[in-house]
Order: sequence, then C-alpha cells, then structure tokens
Amino acid sequence: MLIYTSRRLLWTPVLLFVAGLFIFSLGSVAPGDPAELMAGQRADPEAIERIRERLGLDDPFLMQYMRYIADALKGDFGESYRYRGRDVFELLGPKLRVSLELNLVSYVVTLVIGLPLGFWAAMRQGTWKDPTMTTIMLLIYALPVFFTAPFLILVFALWLDWIPVSGWSGMFSTHAVLPAVTIGLPGAFVFMRFMRASTLDVLGQEYVRTAHGKGMGHMTVNRRHIARNALLPIITILGFSLAGLFGGSLIVELIYGIPGVSRLALEAVFQRDYPVLTALTLLGAGMLALANLVADIMYSVIDPRIRLRS
Amino acid sequence: MKFVPKLLIAGAVLATMLVFACASEEPTATPVPPTATTVPQPPTATPVPPEPTPAPNLSVAPTATAIAEATAEAVAAEETATAVMEEAEVVTERVVDDPEFDARRGGVFRMLGSDPTTLDPALTTDSTSYDYVLKIFGGLMRLTDDPSNPIVPDLAESFTVSQEGTVYRFKLRDDLVFSDGSPVTAFDFKWSWERAAAPDTGSTVVKEFLGDIVGINDVIEGNATSAEGITVIDETTLEVQIDGPKPYFIAKLTYPVTFVVNQDNIEAGGETWTDDPVGTGPFILKDYEIGVSLVLARNDNFWDRPPFLDEVHFNLAGGSSMAMYENDEIHVSGIPFAAYERVTDPNEPLYQDVVDVPAEFFTSYIGFNVKMAPFDDAHFRRALNYAVDKELIAEAVLNNRARPAYGPIPPGFIGFNPDLEGLRFDLEKAEEELAMSEYADPDSRPRIVLTTSGTGGSPPVWLQAIADMWDRYLGVTIEFQEVEWATFLQEVDNYRLQVFSLAWSPDYPDPHTFVDVLFRSDSQINSTQYSNAEVDALLDSATTEPDPARRVQLYQEAEQIIVNEAAWLPLWWGSEGKILVKQSVNGFALSPLGSFTLRDVWLEKEIDF
Amino acid sequence: MNRAGSSETARIDSPVLAEMEAPDSFLRHAWNQLRKRKLALFAVCVLAVLYTLGIFAPLVATHDYSETNLAKTEAAPDTENWLGTDRLGRDIFSRVVWGIQTTIILTVITILTASVFLGLALGMAAGYLRGAVDIITMRTGEVVAVVPDFLLVLIIAATVRPRIKEFGYWIEDNTPISGVISSGAVDYIVLGLAFLPLSWFGAMRLIRGQTLAIRDAPYVDAARSMGVGTPTILIRHILPNVITPLVVSVSFGMGAVALGEVIASFFGIGVQPPRPSLGVMIGDVTARTGSAAVETLRSHPEQLLSPIIVVWLMIFCWNILGDALNDILNPRAR
Repeated sequence: MLIYTSRRLLWTPVLLFVAGLFIFSLGSVAPGDPAELMAGQRADPEAIERIRERLGLDDPFLMQYMRYIADALKGDFGESYRYRGRDVFELLGPKLRVSLELNLVSYVVTLVIGLPLGFWAAMRQGTWKDPTMTTIMLLIYALPVFFTAPFLILVFALWLDWIPVSGWSGMFSTHAVLPAVTIGLPGAFVFMRFMRASTLDVLGQEYVRTAHGKGMGHMTVNRRHIARNALLPIITILGFSLAGLFGGSLIVELIYGIPGVSRLALEAVFQRDYPVLTALTLLGAGMLALANLVADIMYSVIDPRIRLRS
Repeated sequence: MKFVPKLLIAGAVLATMLVFACASEEPTATPVPPTATTVPQPPTATPVPPEPTPAPNLSVAPTATAIAEATAEAVAAEETATAVMEEAEVVTERVVDDPEFDARRGGVFRMLGSDPTTLDPALTTDSTSYDYVLKIFGGLMRLTDDPSNPIVPDLAESFTVSQEGTVYRFKLRDDLVFSDGSPVTAFDFKWSWERAAAPDTGSTVVKEFLGDIVGINDVIEGNATSAEGITVIDETTLEVQIDGPKPYFIAKLTYPVTFVVNQDNIEAGGETWTDDPVGTGPFILKDYEIGVSLVLARNDNFWDRPPFLDEVHFNLAGGSSMAMYENDEIHVSGIPFAAYERVTDPNEPLYQDVVDVPAEFFTSYIGFNVKMAPFDDAHFRRALNYAVDKELIAEAVLNNRARPAYGPIPPGFIGFNPDLEGLRFDLEKAEEELAMSEYADPDSRPRIVLTTSGTGGSPPVWLQAIADMWDRYLGVTIEFQEVEWATFLQEVDNYRLQVFSLAWSPDYPDPHTFVDVLFRSDSQINSTQYSNAEVDALLDSATTEPDPARRVQLYQEAEQIIVNEAAWLPLWWGSEGKILVKQSVNGFALSPLGSFTLRDVWLEKEIDF
Repeated sequence: MNRAGSSETARIDSPVLAEMEAPDSFLRHAWNQLRKRKLALFAVCVLAVLYTLGIFAPLVATHDYSETNLAKTEAAPDTENWLGTDRLGRDIFSRVVWGIQTTIILTVITILTASVFLGLALGMAAGYLRGAVDIITMRTGEVVAVVPDFLLVLIIAATVRPRIKEFGYWIEDNTPISGVISSGAVDYIVLGLAFLPLSWFGAMRLIRGQTLAIRDAPYVDAARSMGVGTPTILIRHILPNVITPLVVSVSFGMGAVALGEVIASFFGIGVQPPRPSLGVMIGDVTARTGSAAVETLRSHPEQLLSPIIVVWLMIFCWNILGDALNDILNPRAR
C-alpha cells in the first residue's frame, strides 16, 4: 500500500508536467500572435516587437515552457496576456473560489436528491415506482442545460420573481439556487443509480435476512444496515466525482452570469492567453490527480481486494 | 497621418457594454463589436445595424455645409482659438451646497459592462477601456457631441496657437486638483506625456498621438527622458511645440494617451497602479474585481459639478441582460433581437422604458481587395453590389434597425452627399455587370473566402443573407471565415484578405477621415488597395483647398468615383437605435460619438429599485 | 441495435465464421431480451426514426438548409415550414434534419476511431502484451485524462482548425477532389480530434481490463501452448469476449458525443456554417453566450426547442439503450 501510494505520488508531478506541456505546445500550433493580441489594434510593429521580447515569445517553445515551469515552482504562474500586469494566480484565485463554491452547492443538491431517491427506488424494486422514477431522473439528466437554465430563469426569476436572474454572492445566497439546481439536478441521476444498485446489493446480502431473523423491526433494518452499508461503496465514488466537478459548469456560468473559472478559461482560449490556460490546466490536473489518489486510497481501505490488483 | 482609430470617437461604448449582455450580433443601436463572445472586443469591428427610422434632418445638405464650415473653423483654425465653453458647463465652481445638486445626489447606478483591457490611459486602445478611462481620467481637450463644436477644452481653460501653427500654449483651469486632492499643474502634463512616451510604459499608440511633438520621438526610442517640445511656462501654462502646422493635432489631445496622470500615484503603485488610480475625471475607481464588477464612485474633487450618483456598478460577469433588466438588477439594457417585437409593443409595460439613441457615425462595409482575383475586376464588384437588396435585409432580418449605406460618408457627417448615386439593388444591372466581367464563367472564379472578425461560428445574419443573395441571383458562392479581431486587423492591414467585413468610425469631424484615409493610393490603411489617379488628384486638391464648401465638394466627387468603382460594398450606416432605461433614471444620454456620460445621471429614489 | 437485428439473418455456415457463432447467438439473445423491455424498445424506435431522418436528410428535408426566405422570417410552424423558420427565413425542420446528419457523421467518426479502433486495438495490445505497450498507453491516457475535459476540447478545437482547413484547401487546389471544405469534413476532423483524447482512454481501459481478465483463462493458455499466433489469439479468443463491454460503452458514448458537438458548436468552435448542426442552431438563437436564451425561449421557443429536443432524445435514448444492453450483456455487473 505504502509503495503503491508513494509511486503514485512520485508519478503525479510528471503527469502534471506532461499535461502542461501538451497544452502549452498546442499554443505553438495555433494561429495568432499573443504579442499582436496584447498590443491592441493600432500598435506599431516596434511596440509589438518589444512585447515579444519581454515575454520571450521568440524563444523555442520548449524553452518557454521550461521557464514557465521553473517560475511556476516558485509560485509564479506568469502574467496574463489579456490582463496586462496581472499575475495569473491573482486572476484565478477568486474565480476558482466561485467555481468551487458553485460546484460544491450543486454537489450537495446532487447528493441530497440522488442518494435518497436511489434508496427509495431500490426499496421499491419490482413496483412501477422504481422504473418510473429512474426514467424521470434520466429524462432530467439528458435535458441540455441550454434549456434548463433559461427555463428556470424564466419561471423562477421572471414569472414568480423569487430569485435573482444572475450574479453571484456566495454559496449561501439566493443567487446560488438556480445554478445549483441546473447543475445538481441532472447529476442526481448518476448518484441515484449508484445508490440504487448499491442498496440492491446490500438487500440481497445474507446478513440483512439474518437481522430480520433476529426480530428487528423493518424500519430499523432499513436505516441501520441497508442505508449504511449501501452508502459505504458510494463514498469511494465521491472522490472521483468530486474531481470531475471542476469545469462542469461552463455554460451555466455564462447564462447565469457567474464570475467563475469557466468564463475566464473560455476567454483565455479565444484570446490565446497561454499563461492562464497552462495554469488552469496545471491546477485542474493537479486537483484531478489528487482526487484520484485520494479515491484510490479510500477505495483500497474500504475494499482490500483492490490492493492485489494494483 | 497614420492610421485612424475607430475608437478615438470610441465606437459604441454603450453598445459594447450591452452587447455582451444583451445580445448577440445585434445589440441595440449603434455598432457593435464583432461577436458577442465573452471576450471583450474592440470597438467597431463589424457594425451592427441598428434602428433605421428615416434619418432626421441631420442629413440635409445645407446643414452639412454649415457643419463643415464650423468645424473647419474650430478644428483647422490657425488663428487663435479660444475655447468657448458651453452654457451648461460654465458652472466652474465645485457645487457642494447647490440645493438642486443635493436633491439629485445619491444612488447607485447599475449596468452591465465588460472588462477593460487596461485602465492605464497610456495603454488604452480599445473602446471598452477607453470608456472607463474617460470617466476616471481627463486631458486638455475633450470631444463633444455637438457637431458644430466637436472639440472643446477640458482641463485646459483655453489655448492659443501661434501664427505658423506649430506652437500651442495651454492655460489650465484654476485650482485643478487630482481625485486625491493634490494640485494638477502644467508639470504634471509634461511628466504624463513623457511617461507615456517612455519605452518602459509600453504604450503602442503614443507615437501616433504625441509623435508630432518636437523631441518626443527621442523619448519613445529611449534616447531621452525629456522632450524639449513640452515646456512648462508656469504652474498653469503649458507650451507645446510640434513639428509642423498640423491643425488636427489638437484633436489628438482628446485621446487617453495624452491624459494627465499622477506621478506619485504611479511611482508608488508600481505595475498595478491602476488598481487605485488617481485621476481628474468625474469618477474615481472604487473597486475592480476582474470578471466580477467595476465600481466607480463620485470624484468630489472634480473641477466641474461632480456627478449626482454616489456610485456606478458595472456588472462584468454577463448574464441575460433583458432578464436582469426586467428583474430590476440593472438600470439600462440593450434590446436583444428576440425581444424587439415584445418590447416595442405599446401594450407591453416595457414599452414605457424604450429610449431612442442617436445614430452613431460609422459605416460598415464589405471591402474587396482590388488586387486579388476575382475582385480585381470592377464589373464583378459592381455585380456583387447590385445583387444585394439591403433594404429588404434591413426590413426582414434586422427589424429595420439598420440604415442601408451606399457610400462611405454617413448621413449627418460633414461632407455627406444626399445626392450620391449608390449602387442600389438592381438585378438587371447585376446580371449585366456579371456578364461583362471576366469572371462571368463560374469556373474562371477562384474560391472566395469572406473573412470577418470573430471567434468562429455563424457570421452575422446580414452577411449570411448577402451570401445567399449572391448565390441565388448571380450563382456566386462564397465561404466564410472568422478570425480573431487582432489577427484579423493584421491580416487586413497586410492585404492578406480577399474580401472582408469591417466598419469604420471617423476619427475627426472631416470627410478626410473617410475618403482620404481609406481610399488614397498611398494611405497606409487603404485596406482594399484601391488606387485611382483621378481620386488621388481630387483628394490632393481637397487637402489644400481653403474654401470649406469647395473642399467638401471635392471629397464628394472622389466619393462618387469610389462608389462607382465599387471598392466596397457599403453595408450600413449608423442609425438611431433603442435601448431600455428604467423610469427612475434621468439624464442618461448617448451621444452620436458612441460615448455616454454618467455625470448627468440622477435617480428618482422613490421609484428606483 | 440494428446491428443485432441484422445479425439474426446472417447465416453462419462457413467454418471460418464458426468461431463468431458465440457472439452472434449472444447478440441474438440480447435482441430477444431487448424486445422484452418496453422502454428500451421505445428508445430503439426513437433512435431509428432520428437516424433515418438524418441519414436520408437530402430526401426528408423539405427545403435547402441554407436557402433564405426573407419574406417569411421567424415564422411560426405551419404546413409549409413544419417547425417554423429562423431569422433568415430558413426552414427549421430541414436544418434540424441536416443537423442530425451532422451529428450522426460526427458520432460515427469519433466512436469508430476513438472507441472502436484505438480503444480496441490499444486495449487489447496493452492487456495482452503488457510490458512497455501497456505502460506507455496507460501513462499517456492518464496524462490526457487528467486535463480538464472542457479545456481540452476548447483548446484543441480552437487551435487545430486553421491547420486542418489549410490542408483542406491544399487538397482542393492540388487534387481533383473538390468540395472538401463545404462538405464539412474539416469540422468532423477538428471535432473528432478534440473528442479523441476524451473518448479513447475510457474504451481502452475497459478493453484492457477485460483482456487482462481472460488472457490467462485456460482456453487461451491452451491455444498459446498449441502454438497459435498472437494475432489469432487476439482475434479469435480475446475479441469476442471484449466486444460486449465495448458495445455498452459505445452506446453511452453516442449520446455524449452528440452533446459534445452541441457545446463546441455553441461556442463557435465546432461545426461551421453553412453546414447546419444542432449546436450551431442553439448557438445562433442564444447569442453564443447564452445571453439571449431566455428571450428566445420566451418569444420564439420553437427556434430553441427544436434542436434541443432532438439532442435531448438522443442522449436519453442512448442512455436507456446503454443501460439495457448493460443489463443484458453483463448480467453480473453491479
């Protein structure tokens, strides 16, 4: 276990390095010159040349990348091309927070709806209720956000006038409600399915019947054994899915006017803001790698068989 | 004269701000930045056809001539031009006890905005930044929306020009102070200009706007730190010597790169001094969070009456503009196309909020590179012109929010020719011209790629409609290509594009800015590479023609030739538009220059949300 | 599902094909099972209709997809324009039908190259050969998997297009082939490339795991000891066993790629006009930042909902189908 973990730990930086290189190299394939973009629309050629020189854009790109990584190790992720003089990290910080908050609230919505529904459905296996609920949730899951977001705005913000249309003022404000539902509700289907399957597994297991045999009440069996045991394997999935949250809110952020990281990323793609893109990649990749690692470890703790396979 | 900015007369500021919000390719009124991506775009890339409504009396010829004369005097004056302040602005005292001021004072004005590229006046080149900078900083001169008096002194009280037209002497207003209370002196201007010119500052436009000053080029090249052409006579008197009689020099002093900045502020703030800038504009920057919000507050030290508003909140995160407006989250909004019908229905409550905005001066067009096949044939270009029914597109696709253009100079602008014979929709002529052209046979035509600025996806609807007309009426098929704005401009400037869609806003109130700059053979930004000796000759004589009326006539003659030779397919002229403004808002006005001031805005608090 | 259906009629007499009999009867069994599930059957029918519409778009479409009709813009649905018209008076129904075709081509290209070809080949190679092949493919996959999806798609789609397009022009100019650009081939290649990193690894890992599980099975061992060559073992023994999980994963992947096209085109980096696609249609009426979505939904819902409902049905049905296939083909799973 220890060996496995430390091997993974050593591998992660390499992973990040190569992932960053991949994104950085795409920049050299792309048309458009960052210096021209930075210089603005009436720049004279010498001014553009000065910018190129300052940013070291004429160096071979591998050298540029090495310099970037060296700086990044010192905590300096470079200067945004788009927002001149802005440290990338300073730029990303607040956006990351907003996006993480948004995704966290959405995640709560997902779990709060998905897990009980999965349990509910499993307990009604064989009746019409189980497949009906599953189908309804799948219908919601499949619904593109291009419909849900404007629809929710129309109904809850304009017609009912309950909630603001857009903006963000923290995860506990009314601003968070619509976006969280927009992202969270479709995701609930996934957890509902996990939970349903997991509950069915547990239901089929011997000791539940044993518990029955010992004369415990039906409800007690439900709560104590089934739910708890069914949740156990879900915990391992939480880690994986938490990592997947990053960037899952691109269109939602746009339509609801939420100043999150996706919007910044989109802008960076179109503006060829490679320092921002590379930093985003490294950060996102780092979070994913970390989450995977944690999930792996949790998994092997809960299910010892995994160790053998790795 | 080098390039001309579309943004000196900053295109469509409000439109720029609202576009993201509101909508789409077509905002509201006024031209619009290219595509409505989240990426703030420069000003007048593509236009957007706004509202048509028959042009007001602005376009009547006598008026145009009158304007021409007036402007010639105002701008080109070689005699002493002492500033005449407009009536409203004679209030020089800082009004603090004025009861009217107190009654209107207060409130927070909210609107959508987009991120400025920079807030440093020296680095400002795009209209979004320009608009914020204009509110926080100020310079010697400023633009007004009065066509008869387009440039007036701002921080300068008055100025004089020497007989030869090379020495300008500016008298600053008394008791001018920065927003932090420190005095503004002639020295601050000298310092600001030399700082703008210093290579370390990295201004890309300083050469264009201050390059005429004697000695400034040494500073720009890093060989000197001081320009001998800028002399501080005393605390309130600045003398500037330029390298030749250039009447347009004074107009350049309305551009941000010439604005006054505070030395202590910049030296203490380092690279991020604009986080807490000290300026002389009506507002101060209170808070700026990239991508989130930009908050302006009243500058109580403003030399004129300070703004009524306590604060202005620009929401930079975007969202659904109309929905936000209806939900009382913002005070103004553009009208997205999809909402136009609903909003302009008199039975709809929103109808009360619809406000007309004046037409902005600009002309959008499809430019043909006349040195590239198949556009090297005037018959072919004319055929394409005749085959486009702009009136129909304006009516059917753009809700009549566009005014079809038939020549470069827009109505209401000095030199506009109401008698210009444009190449109006005429299928017979189109077919005739095509038959006469050497590209009549489809197989003889090279591939045609029309380039627009943007980040990909569908080009503006009117271009799609035009492409379909070409295809249907002439069998000419084209492809579209979208290129990022900055790259797009480089491609245009280097004549690498075959046919492109662009818009032009005037830099100064003179037909020169349309006709000479864009069509003279040796003009640097003659992006169509159009060249005609007769036109050149007309333009030459216009430049030196002392009689304003005759001058305008020469430009109009040149314009007619250009139109006949179809170097362009003129698309739309700026036209009146509509926006939504909350009932509680007073004094919100857009000028034809595309900018808007918030200084006169006040909110009726009883009915404000 | 069509594949399963048609295999019913395929007669297997030749000894060479006898080896394939196992999967065939398996698929037949699957088809029989599928027929018992009403919801899955419904999904199959819906998909059949959608795909028929798309494949036969030139016949089904009532109008030319790019033909404007300025006399009839933004019209509500009527007998001539079944789903109304858009701002340029183009027929929405015809554009949707052609959009479905775009999606079909794109999904097939992506799924074929990524899941079927790359996933299968690399997965089997890695799982069976192990060693360096395994390490390299797995590590590469990990690198790609760790980059946030949306960034990867956006960056690739935004950067490689000009190069691909240049190549398209080159082909048109230097070979007798014409219409490369207008066929939308560039878009398919760009989007295929953008989705590739996302889709191949999942399939590959799946196949690899399956291969690992059976590579040491007694009958494979037996074959090996009898001197059967590696390619033969892979095709005869491994392939039939890994194909079922692949079918399930492809089924889930179809919906995902359809959605991917919509998102990329929405941002203007996917399918380019004049070629219609569901994403382009959605992007056009929502101002590409989504800011006009509310207004469009309010004043011209048919313009927004027509493409959205199609996407919705596709994702829903492919998921139902994937689920059903999973239950049928992998009864032990979960």
